[in-house]
Amino acid sequence: MKIRMRQQKIGLSGLVLGALALASVVGNAADEPKAQQPKAQAQPAAGGGIAQEKSFPKIASGSWNGPKLPDGQPDISGHWSNTISNHSNFTDPGGGIPGDPKPPRTPLGPRNERAPSRVSDPADGQVPFQPWAQEKVNQFHVGFHNPTEPQYVEPLARCAPAGVPKSLYWHGYEIAQYPGYVVFYFSSGTRIIHLDGKPHLPENIKLWNADSRGHWEGNTLVVDVANHNGKALFGRSGEFISENGHIVEKYIFANDGKRYNYEAVFTDPTVYTRPFTVTIPARKWTEADKANGWHFEVEHAKHDGNDVILDRYERICAENNGGFGLGAEAPKK
Amino acid sequence: MKTNMNNKTSWIRSVGVTLLLAASVLAVSGNAATADEKIPRLANGKPDFSGIWQALSAADTGLEPHSNRKDAQPFAGAVEGNTIPYLPKALEQRQKNFENRATDDPALKGYTLGVPRGIYYPEPFQIFQRAADLNIVQQFGHSVRTIHTNKTEHPDDPNDWWLGDSRAKWDGDTLVVDAKDFNDKTWLDHAGNFHSDALHIVERWKYIDANTIEYKATLDDPKVYSRPWNLGPILLHRHREKNFQLIEDYRYTLDYDQYYPPKPDNKK
Repeated sequence: MKIRMRQQKIGLSGLVLGALALASVVGNAADEPKAQQPKAQAQPAAGGGIAQEKSFPKIASGSWNGPKLPDGQPDISGHWSNTISNHSNFTDPGGGIPGDPKPPRTPLGPRNERAPSRVSDPADGQVPFQPWAQEKVNQFHVGFHNPTEPQYVEPLARCAPAGVPKSLYWHGYEIAQYPGYVVFYFSSGTRIIHLDGKPHLPENIKLWNADSRGHWEGNTLVVDVANHNGKALFGRSGEFISENGHIVEKYIFANDGKRYNYEAVFTDPTVYTRPFTVTIPARKWTEADKANGWHFEVEHAKHDGNDVILDRYERICAENNGGFGLGAEAPKK
Repeated sequence: MKTNMNNKTSWIRSVGVTLLLAASVLAVSGNAATADEKIPRLANGKPDFSGIWQALSAADTGLEPHSNRKDAQPFAGAVEGNTIPYLPKALEQRQKNFENRATDDPALKGYTLGVPRGIYYPEPFQIFQRAADLNIVQQFGHSVRTIHTNKTEHPDDPNDWWLGDSRAKWDGDTLVVDAKDFNDKTWLDHAGNFHSDALHIVERWKYIDANTIEYKATLDDPKVYSRPWNLGPILLHRHREKNFQLIEDYRYTLDYDQYYPPKPDNKK
């Protein structure tokens, strides 16, 4: 059946049901922007649950032996999604939202039975915050669950773009390639990676999705990220970078084209005590996969032939700007 | 290797264009693109509209002809026959919209501009084109409209979308887009011209030279207009400034920008 139909027809009650069905992984769905949420995905398709993996393979940077586009780029276009979890918790992806007053439906068990922290360096898996910044994150863990002040609303819930790096673990997305560009069409926002080596925008321009310059090194897309406005937060766990931050990303693609790992070094001397590394695993979804309500949100296009052509519908959340993204009406049929 | 070839090709092309231009000046033959004029093409031979485009038209201040206003330059109009054929009730609504435009114009709230307004709104948009589709990324709101050129049809069970559902065919070198399944939340301009969720648009996009697209549209909406009407032509100009790029322009986030990210307490 059409996931999209379920998505769009369900109102508030569906939102609550959806939250229950997705249980502790999604946690409090009340801050999800409404137009984007797979609301009543009661039974995720096989392999379609948000948390798919507790561990994932390392992919080495090296040569690219797979297909190439006419302009020489490795051909990695298609539909992709992270494999470990959503943005509920940055450093304990399967662990639910920090400070959640509601106990998880099923006990979490030992930490090592869940996916590793997205912080792969330092070894403790924690963001090396300066004390003042750690204190702000701690306050967010409390404030998020009863936001009496505006900074405790996760900005994605107000339809702000998910930004860098949160877009990579907020629903599935499409990567499209064009001569001179790699473009990420995210569920909330778009990132245009320029491959032509032009300089970054002037420093005082700050953007939700930052300003990206990339180049290919074999199987690895290396992206320099500047002009970040620091506002998107990394998730419901409140970690952040500031407008002084700088990120160098590596998207390392497996030669069979089925996976990539994101390995990025985050630097911000005004917020962190040292640079740290973020690692996010991702897998590809193709026509052979069944669509599901979170990782692979596509429809089969109507056409005369028998082959499957995928449609990816508009993802616009600009107007649902309620306190928790709940202020808007459901889209009309 | 590839780059060199391209450079050579474009050098030959520019010489060719210069000769053509010289010929057309000599012949005083007007400005229509001839079949021989070189326009960018995809590998499959179809026109390649990839690039960053912007209208110089004042259409966004009001599609119908108007004198200057405090909030608008004068404009000779972009509506064939000058008047949008509103049904009587809809005309009243348009008047109301016009009077309240300083607060009610959805663009002022940072909403997605919709179709066709995003085409002539005074900010650039970028077209990313493949054989199967064109994606239009607007600078304003960074929204993405997909125009499908893969022989697919409108879905049987559509939503009401901000940017509608666009399926296109090639008529020679003209891209003919059929767009429907819109919501009723967008305006056509700052002057309160509007549509309902029954809006149906047929657009025609074609190059008149390698750096200029002619855009025309026919709008039909039985809930709002008494008959279909024609918009345009509006010319879209390619941005050729060195290093020009889109700069994402999210307006609706400005009201809460100040709350993020956290700052040290002594730096508030």
